[in-house]
Amino acid sequence: MAQEPDGTPPRADRGAPLPYYGTAGGSGQAQGGAGAPDGGPVPAVRVRGLWKRFGEQAAVAGIELDLPAGRFIGLVGPNGAGKTTTLSMVTGLLRPDDGLVQINGHDVWADPVAVKSRIGVLPEGLRLFERLSGRELLAYTGRLRGLPGAEVDKRTGQLLDVLDLTAAQHKLVVDYSTGMRKKIGLAAALLHNPEVLFLDEPFEGVDPVSAQVIRGVLERYTAGGGTVVFSSHVMELVESLCDWVAVMAAGRIVARGPLAEVRGEAPTLQDAFLSLVGADRRTGQDLDWLGGGSR
Amino acid sequence: MTAAAPPSVSPPATGSAGGSVTGVFVRLKLSLMRNGLRQSRGRTVGWCIGVGLTMLYALANGAGMIALRGNHYAPAVSVTVAVVLGVGWAVMPLFFFGGDDTLDPTRLAMLPLRPRPLLTALLTSSLVGVGPLFTLLLAAGAVTAVAHGPAAVVVSALSVALLLVLCVALSRAIAAANTRLLTSRRGRDLALLSGLFVAVGAQLVNLGLSSLSGTDGLHRATSAASVLRWIPPATAVDAVRSTGRGAYGLAAVQLAVTVAATALVLRWWHRSLFRLMVSPDASTIAAAPEASGGRDRSAGRSPLGLRLPSGRTGTVMQRQFRYMWRDPRAKAALATGLAVGLLLPLVAVVQHGTVYQCLWAAGLLGIQMYNQFGLDGSAFWTVMATIADRRDAEAELRGRALAIAVIAVPYVTVVTTGAAVLLGQADALAETLGLSFAFTGALVATGGFASVRYPYAVPRDNPFSNAAPGQSGLVMINVFGGTLTGAALCLPVLGPVVALHLTGHHGLLWLALPVGALYGAALAALALRFTAPRLLDRLPEILATVRK
Repeated sequence: MAQEPDGTPPRADRGAPLPYYGTAGGSGQAQGGAGAPDGGPVPAVRVRGLWKRFGEQAAVAGIELDLPAGRFIGLVGPNGAGKTTTLSMVTGLLRPDDGLVQINGHDVWADPVAVKSRIGVLPEGLRLFERLSGRELLAYTGRLRGLPGAEVDKRTGQLLDVLDLTAAQHKLVVDYSTGMRKKIGLAAALLHNPEVLFLDEPFEGVDPVSAQVIRGVLERYTAGGGTVVFSSHVMELVESLCDWVAVMAAGRIVARGPLAEVRGEAPTLQDAFLSLVGADRRTGQDLDWLGGGSR
Repeated sequence: MTAAAPPSVSPPATGSAGGSVTGVFVRLKLSLMRNGLRQSRGRTVGWCIGVGLTMLYALANGAGMIALRGNHYAPAVSVTVAVVLGVGWAVMPLFFFGGDDTLDPTRLAMLPLRPRPLLTALLTSSLVGVGPLFTLLLAAGAVTAVAHGPAAVVVSALSVALLLVLCVALSRAIAAANTRLLTSRRGRDLALLSGLFVAVGAQLVNLGLSSLSGTDGLHRATSAASVLRWIPPATAVDAVRSTGRGAYGLAAVQLAVTVAATALVLRWWHRSLFRLMVSPDASTIAAAPEASGGRDRSAGRSPLGLRLPSGRTGTVMQRQFRYMWRDPRAKAALATGLAVGLLLPLVAVVQHGTVYQCLWAAGLLGIQMYNQFGLDGSAFWTVMATIADRRDAEAELRGRALAIAVIAVPYVTVVTTGAAVLLGQADALAETLGLSFAFTGALVATGGFASVRYPYAVPRDNPFSNAAPGQSGLVMINVFGGTLTGAALCLPVLGPVVALHLTGHHGLLWLALPVGALYGAALAALALRFTAPRLLDRLPEILATVRK
């Protein structure tokens, strides 16, 4: 989408002050260059001092994070760790109380024109326009993104085909199964060829066949240079898919880095994760009757 | 659970096993009622008040029926009560299916139960509750009004019992026969639309009542009753009257008809239950692929899409039109606006009123612009993720406003012209239309602003609630603030029209039409332009409100 960033009103005037906006200068291009820890170029996602409180409880308590571009990144953590809240704030769906978020150097809240065309989102717990058929939904989303109609229709056909939704393309999304909804949501997120793709629990409740299809599409996308950030609490999945992980617990990042680094000495990511979030395995000593032949 | 007999091959003996199953079901029903009340204090209080009012109504009705004893119209009234009870029980599953878990027999499909004891158990547990008690009181009142003599009193007891069983069994049978429909998405959509049918039905009943209030109205009611008394739940009540008159043969026939109807209903229920318990569950059916390729109506773009403006505005309009047809809430809101907008001018025509009643049509269609994003629900995030600058925001608002205008302008024109011609007030047509367009524009203008500034969530699961808990204040702001501001914004057109009337310049009143139309369009366009940056600014706040 080639839209000039004119007329965008300053958006930092609401709620708590966002201290980083002063230095970011509003243009969004003010990255220091030395922000990435691995010395690479501009990080795909840069988060500084991100806070969100719901009442007394801090759902996200001061996150500092740089996600490298072109990687398959897993954001893992137990339920309630703040993954969805973080992803919502990073993608501009939820206004943070405090903090800075940049996507490829563009500030999410100060420069929405630059950011919204560069990211694709598959949120969790938010509906789609379900009374549209799968094909209509993609046509609608693509045109809202400002893509030319013919291009939208071409990409729609290809995405439906690759995601195995062609047979259901004229069915209303409200009648889709969970796996089909995730796939059509992924198609809608990919339609404008974003630079960074944010997926919140993309494999939750998805059958193995659909999961494999989604996986294939995501691997193709990262092979072409795209960055995938997805949240999950299924460690085996993260371990097999991701080359970079960030572990969240209680609203904070407790570990980050390449998969092997985070896993460290532990035999699996699952073990590393359990010790990181401080949960040890419980044994079912009281259920000694369970599994026996007698009732 | 006592009913969980070992899964042996032999069927459980109907007598003893059926009895214990019945006990379990009655206890289950009581626990469900108790647990429903335990959820919150407010709910308990509300339930108690509702039950109190229901019982008061039933008792008052019973007292009225007793007072009618010996009246010429008593038989007509009592058979009508019986028929209304029967119809009420028949349509109830449509409204309360989602609310009553015990109505859905597929929940019991995994339990080792045979249809016949299950039938007894479900019937018995259905007789527990406020509804059956209410029915019992009304039926008792109905038979009291017509029971004369000891024989009739004996028949009364039998007839009340038959009526109650027939009503409850009918309700259950209809629920069981339509479980597939009612648990499917289409069924839930239908339930959402049912409010509209009830509203239209109420208007028809209203018209019928007003025609009955004429001089020969009650005679017509009596002749209707002579048909009604042969419709099953009423046959039981009329049997009491027949007994009281000494027509024992007739009474026997009427009772036999009732028993036969009950037996038929029970048999139908039994068959539906059996089919439900042995065939796969509805959710699997729904997930199975439909006859794919059969529906190609929307391949590419719809015929509507061809004439729509290009860019975001046209895209938004197309989705709005699809939602008006496919989303039961949007459909119900629009259909109500269209129906009432036609009904009130019609009333004006019938009562020789004024063509100004047609302003209702404009008002009811204009308010469709209110709470635009609340109707989107959490799907609003798609809109939000694609609005990057002020132009996107304005195109979004303009698309929604145009979708309403495309319907409202021709509809208001046709209704107003028709009413003006039928009323013989064609000379007032131009000013009425001008005011209508100004009013529509004003409501679109204020509605767009209110949608951005005061949105509220519309709950998805409850068809009879229009705002999420704690947001009813916002609804008030929308309804009262919106209509008052909308009316005030019409003053620049209304004032001159009144002035021209007062000063006797009737020849200039036609000017109201072009002025009103231009004013309405300009007001709406300006307001949307003014609202667009506010929409851009408030996107996360709107999403946080409407996703509830």
